[in-house]
Amino acid sequence: MLHRRIYQFLMIYFTGFAALMLVKYSLDLSDYVIPGFSEIWSACRRYFGLYLLAVLNTLSIAILGHVLSICMATVVGIIGRLTIWIGSFIRVAAYNIQAYPIVAVAPIIFILLGDGLSSRLLIAAMICYFPLLLSIIGILSEPVSEIEHFFESTHRMKWQLQVKIRAFENIHKLMTVIVGSATLAMVGTIVAEFIAANAGIGYSIRIALYQSDLAKILVALFLIGICTSIYLVFLEWLGGIIKERIGSI
Amino acid sequence: MQRQLFHQIGLPTVGMILILSLAGCAPEADKPLEEVNYRLKWLYNISVVGDLYALDSGLFAKHGLAVNVKPGGPEKDAIKELELGHAQFGVASADQVIRAVSKGSPIVVIAQLFQTNPMHWIFRPDKTPLKTPQDLKGKTIGITHGGNDETIMRALLAKYGIQESAVTLFSVRYDYTPFYQGKVDLWPLYRNAQAPIIGVKLQKAGERFDLMDPSKMGIRFVANSVVTTRKMLEERRETVHRFIKALLQGWREALNPANKEKAIALVLKYNKETPEEIVRQQLPATRILMMPSADFEFGTIDAAAWQQTEEIMLAQKLIPVRVYVEKLLKPIGK
Repeated sequence: MLHRRIYQFLMIYFTGFAALMLVKYSLDLSDYVIPGFSEIWSACRRYFGLYLLAVLNTLSIAILGHVLSICMATVVGIIGRLTIWIGSFIRVAAYNIQAYPIVAVAPIIFILLGDGLSSRLLIAAMICYFPLLLSIIGILSEPVSEIEHFFESTHRMKWQLQVKIRAFENIHKLMTVIVGSATLAMVGTIVAEFIAANAGIGYSIRIALYQSDLAKILVALFLIGICTSIYLVFLEWLGGIIKERIGSI
Repeated sequence: MQRQLFHQIGLPTVGMILILSLAGCAPEADKPLEEVNYRLKWLYNISVVGDLYALDSGLFAKHGLAVNVKPGGPEKDAIKELELGHAQFGVASADQVIRAVSKGSPIVVIAQLFQTNPMHWIFRPDKTPLKTPQDLKGKTIGITHGGNDETIMRALLAKYGIQESAVTLFSVRYDYTPFYQGKVDLWPLYRNAQAPIIGVKLQKAGERFDLMDPSKMGIRFVANSVVTTRKMLEERRETVHRFIKALLQGWREALNPANKEKAIALVLKYNKETPEEIVRQQLPATRILMMPSADFEFGTIDAAAWQQTEEIMLAQKLIPVRVYVEKLLKPIGK
C-alpha cells in the first residue's frame, strides 16, 4: 500500500499531465510545444537513470541544508525567544532577511563561493532556514504558564528547562514546521542549481529548458516529486517515533 | 413618372455608388490598423534596434499594422507563442527553429537577421595566443551546457579533429569571475551586446582582449531569424508581406550610419540600464554582424549556413532525423 503522501503526489502529477495532454490534443499542438506520449516515454527511458542520480544528488544537498537549518534555527530560536534586546533584534533581522528574494542574493553567493557544493548548500539552507527560524522563535517565545509557573514560583526555572517545556508542549507544531520546511529545502537546492550550479536536477532542468525539451522536464518533475515525497514520509515516520518516545517519558 | 422613379431609385443608387467610390479612394491612414504580436528573442537591447526603429518611426503603422513588439527572455519562446496563437511573428535562433520543426512545429523562416552568429569567445591574446584552431588544444574553454555555444564549440572541435579530451570544457553562467581570474582561457559571449561591456572592464584592468569568431573558422551556425507559421503565410500572405517590408526597412534605417544618433537614442529609450557609451560601441558591432557590406540586402536568408546548422545538429544528435531545412526558408523581403 502506497503511503498517503506518495499517492497524493501521483494524483496531482497525473492530473497535471492529463491536463497538458488535453491542451495538446485539443489545440493540435506540436511535440515542440507539448511533447506527446511517445516522446515522453522515450525521454523517460533515456534519462530516467541520469535524472534519478541528479535528483538524489539534489536531495542529499537538500537534506544537509535542512539539517543545518534546523540546528541553526534551534540555536538562534532559543536566543530569539528572549524578551531582552538581542531576542528582539534577532526576530526583526530574521523577518527582514527572509524578505529578500533568493534569486537576487544568489548571484552574490555564487561570486563569493563559486558554483560548487557550498553555494548550493547555503542557498538551500537560506530558503528553508528563515521560515523555520520564525516558527521556532514563535513556539519557544510562547510561555506554557500552567507548567512554568510552578518552576518559577519555586525558583527552579532555568533556561534549559524553559526550552524543554515549551518544545515538549509544542512538539506537534515543531514536527509540522520541520516537515513543511523540508520541501522548502528541496526547492532552495533546485533554485540554486538552476541559477548557477554545475550538478543536480536544477542544472539538468536548465539544460532541458535551453533545448526547449519539455519531455525531459516532465521526467525531472516526476522524480523530484517522488523523491521529495519519500523524504517527507521518512520525516513523518521519524517525527512519529520522537513523539512516541516523548509520550512514554 | 419617370422623374419620380429617378428620384426614388436613381438618386440613392448614384449616391451609394459615389460614397463607395470615395471610400475606396480613402487614404491608407484612415483604415483601421491590423493588430499583430511580434515576440522578440531577447529583452530590449542593441540586438533588437531595428525592431524598435520600425515601431518607433511609425513604419509598421505606415504599412497598416499595429505591431505589439514584445520583449523576449530566457523563458520566452517565440515559436511556442506562434503555435499557441499568442503571436503572429517572432524571432528565433536557427537551432530553435530546426528543433521545433523536427518535432512537427509548422514554422517557416521569412528573414534572417544576423548574417554572422554573434556568439564569439573572448580571450587574452597575451596569455592565450590563438592563431589556428589547433591552438585551442590544452585550453580551458567556457561553454553553456545545452546552449548554442556548446553546439558551436563541439562542431568546431570536430571540424578540426580536436579530441574533447584535448581541451577542458568549463561550464559557464553569467558570472565572469572565472574568466577575470584567468581560470578559463576562452569565455563565450555575444559579440555585439556583451563584448563592449566586458572589453571595457578588461581595458580598465590594463588587459588586452581579442574575440574568436567561429564563422571565420568555417562554422556558420545561424542565429536570429524572423519566423511565422505556415498557416499565417498561406492565409495572410499580404499581412506577412507588409510586416516584413516594414521590419526590414526599420532594420536598414537603424543600421544606416546616417541614423546612428536616432538608433542609439531609441535603444536608450527602451533600455535605460545600459550606459550610452556602451550602446555607442554596440551599434557598429551589430552592424558588422547584420550587414557584412554596405550594399548587402538586409534580411537575406543564407541557405548554405542553414544547411550547415542542420548538419551540425544532426551530427551532434540534437535532432533525430533531417528536417530538410531549405523547405522552411521562405524569404519574403525581396
